[in-house]
Amino acid sequence: MNRRALALVVAAGVALLPVLLPHPFVLTIATQAAIWALLAASWDLLSGYTGQISFGHAGFFALGAYAAAAATKHAGVSPWLGLLVGATIAAAVGLLAGFPALRLRGHYLALVTLGLAEITRLVAQNWLALTGGPFGIHDFRSFPGLPADALAYRQAMYLVVVALVAVSIAVMYHVCERTNAGRAFRAIREDEVLAQTLGIGTTRYKLLAFTLSSGFAGLAGALYAYYVQLVSPSVASAATTSLIIGMAVFGGLGTLWGPVLGALLLYGLYEGLRFVGVVYNLIAVGLVIMVFVIYLPRGLAGFRRSA
Amino acid sequence: MLESLLEFLIQGVVLGGLYALFAVGLSLIFGVLDVINVAHGEFFAIGGYLAFGAVVLLHLPGAMGVLGAAVGTFLLGLCVYPLLIAPLKRRLGGRPQGPLYLVLTLGLSTFLQSSLLAVAGGDYRRVPPQLTGIFDLGVTAVSYQRLLVLGVAALLLTGLFAFLRFHPQGLAVRAVSQNPDAAQAMGINLPRIFAFTLALGVALAGVGGALMAPLFNVYPAVGFPLTIKAFAITILGGMGNPAGALVASFVISIAESLSVMVIPSQWQNLIAFAVMIVMLLVRPRGLFGRPVPR
Repeated sequence: MNRRALALVVAAGVALLPVLLPHPFVLTIATQAAIWALLAASWDLLSGYTGQISFGHAGFFALGAYAAAAATKHAGVSPWLGLLVGATIAAAVGLLAGFPALRLRGHYLALVTLGLAEITRLVAQNWLALTGGPFGIHDFRSFPGLPADALAYRQAMYLVVVALVAVSIAVMYHVCERTNAGRAFRAIREDEVLAQTLGIGTTRYKLLAFTLSSGFAGLAGALYAYYVQLVSPSVASAATTSLIIGMAVFGGLGTLWGPVLGALLLYGLYEGLRFVGVVYNLIAVGLVIMVFVIYLPRGLAGFRRSA
Repeated sequence: MLESLLEFLIQGVVLGGLYALFAVGLSLIFGVLDVINVAHGEFFAIGGYLAFGAVVLLHLPGAMGVLGAAVGTFLLGLCVYPLLIAPLKRRLGGRPQGPLYLVLTLGLSTFLQSSLLAVAGGDYRRVPPQLTGIFDLGVTAVSYQRLLVLGVAALLLTGLFAFLRFHPQGLAVRAVSQNPDAAQAMGINLPRIFAFTLALGVALAGVGGALMAPLFNVYPAVGFPLTIKAFAITILGGMGNPAGALVASFVISIAESLSVMVIPSQWQNLIAFAVMIVMLLVRPRGLFGRPVPR
């Protein structure tokens, strides 16, 4: 069976899931897993492909979620437009965060982005008028025009989310694998000075990576907001970032499809372990991160290459 | 006005003692191992839980709680290098590490934090103070517990800096921090120094956790915000420079506590991060750091 046929079978399976397994629980897990897949892929674009390690993706995710939820709740913006609002605001902040990153490497960049996420969390927690403080934003509209019946609503929501996630990932994949920008990203990761001497505008491409990555993280946040119907400061916590990085490391950095697969599997594991005990899921995430960083640096994607 | 200024200043100095215990250890570890320990705050939490276990569950005196926290976190810290850092180092060989150690210790942080949650539960635990009563200064008063935090911090940090300055092992630690290869050539056992430094650094955080447990409650995630703040402090002081971290701890803590007079208190936690970001833009090496290799 060739790759194209395999991809078709997978795509058909994903699209038909609401009909094959019309169960609210399965659909909820699958929808959220798709959102995490987008988030992990967006992190991989910046950190895996371009080598600019972000410890602040929870912040971009939260920015998108809050921007979308606040726009819909306070300004009555349609959720379809709200997705754009969330993505745009996160992308703008990501672009701003990119400027210090032009001067910083490795450790320092990670720490700045971590600080940025913490600032986002503190603002979310304390700017009561806009964010609702510790209780967050709730009671806002979701996408109009979806069926009212509970199961049908979930089925429709699943399709909306999965379609948007699939398109976003396809766009990122296209940029990373089929354009000059993708080659520039990898050149920056491998040797920035060399890339510069070869005439690659590293400044421009780094900022592009930041903007794209944070924009898609914001889109994931907006989808999350409309799906879960609640945005609270804990979204921006370091545990979220830890989960994102765990997914990407699990799947394999710098491949996009690795983190997507890692997100789907790890999120499944994460939710599955709730049945064993609510605390065990994060223990597992921590273990996965440590074991994979030390022993399986190429993640699940590495198995394919060696096979 | 003057009274409240004095009161906030005293609060700031006490808080600075805690930050210093925490940030000096973090900076020492970074200076010697070139590893940013994201799990530092979890050792603070473990120290708090060890104090809780010793004092509340075993009914030992408060001092035993602090001692237990120090020894417990030190022993736990001894395992981190051989079990986690060394295998990654071996795999990497001489290749650039990038941020892999950050990701590794982030995993350790998540693992330890959720393990604490599994073992001790999510409840807020209260630990009785090691010292009770307050010291009256006339214009304002300070609890003895806060003075104890400051006193122990001062004692431990003086001891640490004296150790680094005069003791042969301390000299070895500093030698490794300056040039690992040359240190090894002089017969210094690198893995031993690495494991020891890491244990020493996290034990300082563990003592901090035990001392702060009576002032704050202990819960699994208690240390993490402190870790993030300590990053800001170490950047301000210059990464890998313990003395710089000491000064920066007091700069941040006093700025935070005095800020209450100007801005609403819930925003005071932002100060450290704002300082960090400005510092990184203006002078990434920090106040006292070595130049950042670009």
